[in-house]
This record gives sequence, C-alpha cells and structure tokens, in this order.
Amino acid sequence: MNFSSKLIEQAVEAFAGLPGIGRKTALRLVLHLIQQEEEVSLHFAETIAGMRKGIRYCSTCFNLSDEAQCAICRDPRRDPSAVCVVESIRDVMAIEDTGQYRGVYHVLGGVISPIEGIGPEQLQIDSLVQRVREGVVQEVILAISPTIEGDTTMFYLSRQLQELPVRISTIARGVSFGGELEYADEFTLGRSIVARIPYKLQDE
Amino acid sequence: MNESLHLETLRLLHFKNYEDASLTCSSQLNAFVGLNGMGKTNLLEAIYYLCMCRSPRAVADRHLPRRGSDFFRLEGLFRRHGRQEAITAKLRPGKKKTFERNGKPYDLLSEHIGLLPVVFIAPEDTQLITGGSEERRRLLDNTLSQLHAEYLQQLITYNKVLDQRNRLLKQFAEQQSFDAGLLDAYDRQLWGPADYLYRERERFLADCNPLPIARACRIPRTQVPFQVRYRSPLQERSMADCLRENRDKDRLLARTTAGIHKDDLDLLLDDSPVKRYASQGQTKSLALGLKLAQYRMLQQGKNTPPILLLDDLFDKLDTERVGSLLALLREQAFGQVFLTDTDEARVLDLLHSMGAAHRTFRIQDGTASPIVMA
Ligand SMILES: [Zn+2]
Repeated sequence: MNFSSKLIEQAVEAFAGLPGIGRKTALRLVLHLIQQEEEVSLHFAETIAGMRKGIRYCSTCFNLSDEAQCAICRDPRRDPSAVCVVESIRDVMAIEDTGQYRGVYHVLGGVISPIEGIGPEQLQIDSLVQRVREGVVQEVILAISPTIEGDTTMFYLSRQLQELPVRISTIARGVSFGGELEYADEFTLGRSIVARIPYKLQDE
Repeated sequence: MNESLHLETLRLLHFKNYEDASLTCSSQLNAFVGLNGMGKTNLLEAIYYLCMCRSPRAVADRHLPRRGSDFFRLEGLFRRHGRQEAITAKLRPGKKKTFERNGKPYDLLSEHIGLLPVVFIAPEDTQLITGGSEERRRLLDNTLSQLHAEYLQQLITYNKVLDQRNRLLKQFAEQQSFDAGLLDAYDRQLWGPADYLYRERERFLADCNPLPIARACRIPRTQVPFQVRYRSPLQERSMADCLRENRDKDRLLARTTAGIHKDDLDLLLDDSPVKRYASQGQTKSLALGLKLAQYRMLQQGKNTPPILLLDDLFDKLDTERVGSLLALLREQAFGQVFLTDTDEARVLDLLHSMGAAHRTFRIQDGTASPIVMA
C-alpha cells in the first residue's frame, strides 16, 4: 500500500496490529474515522485511551475492574465464602450470565503449560492460597477447562490448598470451559455450578 | 468374495508431482508402472494420506504440495460396506489441514483414523528390523490406532502430557529450581494412559505372530523360528512406580527416561537378536512378515481386508513369490491392492495370470494413463 500521508499510514499500521484486522480493513476504518465529525473520532480515541489507562486488576480476585476492587467483590449480597476459580475474565462473564452463582471469583490469568512458558508463578495461584489462608473462604470451586493443562492446574491448586481448612469442588465434566465457556449454553452451565461435585484425586 | 472396502476414484490436485490427475481404480488389483521418479509412489502416498491423514513417510505436510504451489487437495471416493464415502483432504497456506467425510469436515482428524484401514509396504520397512525402537513402536501404534479409536486418544493424551513433563524438567534444570507438586501433576496424568496403552499392546502382541503368514506366502528365509517379544517397563511395575523410581534420574537428564514411550519389540531369530544375525535377505523377509501380520490383524479386527499398498515389492521378492503372495491374499478374503513396478511387461503378465479384475496405469511425469489391453 502506498500512502500519501504519513499520519494515515501510522494509523493503518496501528489498526492492522489488532487481531483479525488486515491492512485493507484497517484502511477502511481509518478513512471512516476521517470522514466522521472530528468530535466523534476524538471521542472514540479518548474512550480507548481512558479505558486503557483506567482499567486495572481487582486487588482481591484479579478480575478486570475500574476500581481497586471489582463490582462483584464489593457487592454485599455476594457470598465471600465461596470462590470460583476460573482462567479468564471471559469465564467470569459467562458464569455471571447464568445468574445462578452467588459467590465470588478468582481469576488465574491462564493455565499451567511449561511448553507455553507458563508456570504457577505466572498465574494468580499464590494470591489464591493467601486469600484462602485469611479464613473467610470455605469452598473453592475449580471451574477450569478439562484439558491436560486444565487438569494439571487443578491438581496443582488442590495440592497447594490441601493443608488448609477448605472444601474443594469442581463442576461436572462435559461442560465446555475455558476458551469455549462463553459459548456454553447458559442453562447447563448454571446448573453444573449449582450441582458441583467434590474434587477427587485419582488414586495410585 | 469380500469387497467391503475399496477406493473407486482418486483425484490429486497439486499433490507432489501431480498437477491434476484422476484415476478410476479396479476394486481388486491395481498397478502403477513407470520409471523411478515419475510419481508411482506418490499415488500410494495419496491413498495412504486419505486413510491416515498423514504421509506414510515422516514427511511434513508443507512438503507435499507440487513444486511452486502452496496448497493441495486429494479426493477419494471409497466404497465401504456398500456405502459411498467421499473423503477430501485439503491443505491451504496458513491454515490447518482439513478432512471432510461426505462434505462434512471432521472436528478432529483422529476421528477419521480407522474408518479406512490401510497397510503400506515399502522398501524402507527394513528399518523395522535394523532401526531404533521408535520404528517398531510406530508400527504398533499405527496398527492399534486403526483398530481402536480409544487407543489413539490415549496415545495423544500420553504424548501431550509427556511433552509438558519434559519441558518442565528442562526448565527445572535451566533455572535450577524444583517443584515436586507440579511434577506430580504430570505423573498422575500419565498413569491412566500408560496402563491402558500397555494392556492394549500386550494383548495385541499375544495374538500377533508374523511367521505363519510369511511362510504361507513362501517368503524366503523364514523357515527358522522367528519370535516377536514385547518389552516394556510396565511388565514389572506400574507407571506410577516407574516414574517415582526414575524421578532423580529424570531430573538429572532433564527428560522422562522411563515409561511406555520406551517400549520395544525384541525380534528373535532362532533365539538370537535379528538385528545382529540376520542377513540382508532375511531382514527384508522378516520386515515383510511383520507388515503382513499387521495386514492380517487389521483384517481380523476390522472384519474387512485393509487397502494394501505395495511399493516396489519386487525389491523383496521375485516375480514368482509376488505371484504367490497375491494368490494367497486372494484366497483369504481378498482386499484391494495397489502395487508399483518399473517393469511393465512383468506386471501385465502377473496380473493377467491372477485371473482377477485389474487395472494398470502407466505413470509418466505426474500423469497416470490406464493401459488398455488389446
Ligand atoms: Zn474482584
């Protein structure tokens, strides 16, 4: 692509850096922003900048939040003794959509995978153990994808928590989780969280 | 006569040295004749690919498109238990390869394995005798994966967990760290698949004797006692014990040193290791015997003769013995056979004498033209 304007070129490069956006689409978006009222385009830019600057991780559950503590953790109607452990904020959104869960969350930020360079220290595992140690939490619900990496993570978590006075449960298998959780059907997902089962280790 | 599996038509687009070729096959004997390097074996490879979702040789998919091209497409119209199965394989740049069965793409390629059982017999099979243990494990895994979908699933799981465990051990070594709990997580995930794979391999090998069929085919130099013995650390201890006992060694060497991935087959000729004592001729015969045993096991297990691909069989056997091998296969619920040869007259004579339906194709620079007999 040959640009007459350095400004346009830079903007196209920026858009093309987003996932799923090719250079053609990027150019269409840039030209659209130019054709709009200046005020509208500036508002768009400011929204993005404001979001990026303002967003933070909840200091309790590591969900994305506007405040130091997220709306779920601050909500006095939620039950802080039940903590649902998930991989990402997408999972929080999917479970919230079911309207069935009254406890709080803990967002790990992924699953353990040495091949991807992700070990326990890259995830919010120590913070979970710390949170349980504080004594309010009575049940930890592992809602992690039933993959090899998910199984590893669940086993590792259960090991880290085994000395602490806390119940560990998991949701029924067969419910798609992790990356697919957001597409899971709400009824099934909601029911499986309500009807969770104790987490058990396979014996030797 | 049992004809419950055969390939009716094959189309290759930009596959190896073929630009666009179509073949209509005989349900019984098919021969590809032509000079070396003209593309005979590529046709066998295409058929194998449609059955197994991969090349029979450990060739990466990106090397399969025709020179100067970045995609290929294979279409095979099979008939299985009387029903048509249209299988399409596609490789496009920057995309994962896809397989379709009757127009419907598979979610997982592993679901396709076993639908169309196949055996590929090639000169490099002597590696089964002379090569490392991975050659023999591959034959075991290939056969059992075609027989049981569950076997392939367990094997995939085992290998994935093993990769993660090995990477973790490497990281421990590099960072001079250790986390017993995390290693435990991988050990536990290996137990189930390892015990399953072990049981299946052992059961299979108890039933598998390559000698009778090799003898019946009058394959030379198989008159001496030939034994296949399974060797696995799980014969003496559980996978859990195996990993526990080797943990220190694993940490030191930064990889998983013991387990089902180290299984081997001991091949014994007259109670001596074949590798050391077999002549070149014996080696070829025994490799063929092993492959024919695979054929027979698949035939029994699938209740249908697999598609048999014979690459350069005359390298192993003289014409007369190729003839008796084909005759034997015919007697025993004859399946579809594809073979390659450089000598057109030899093949035409042989096929003619078989008295079975057959087609011969002359292969020249990526074209396949049927030879019509006068
Ligand atoms: Zn929170």
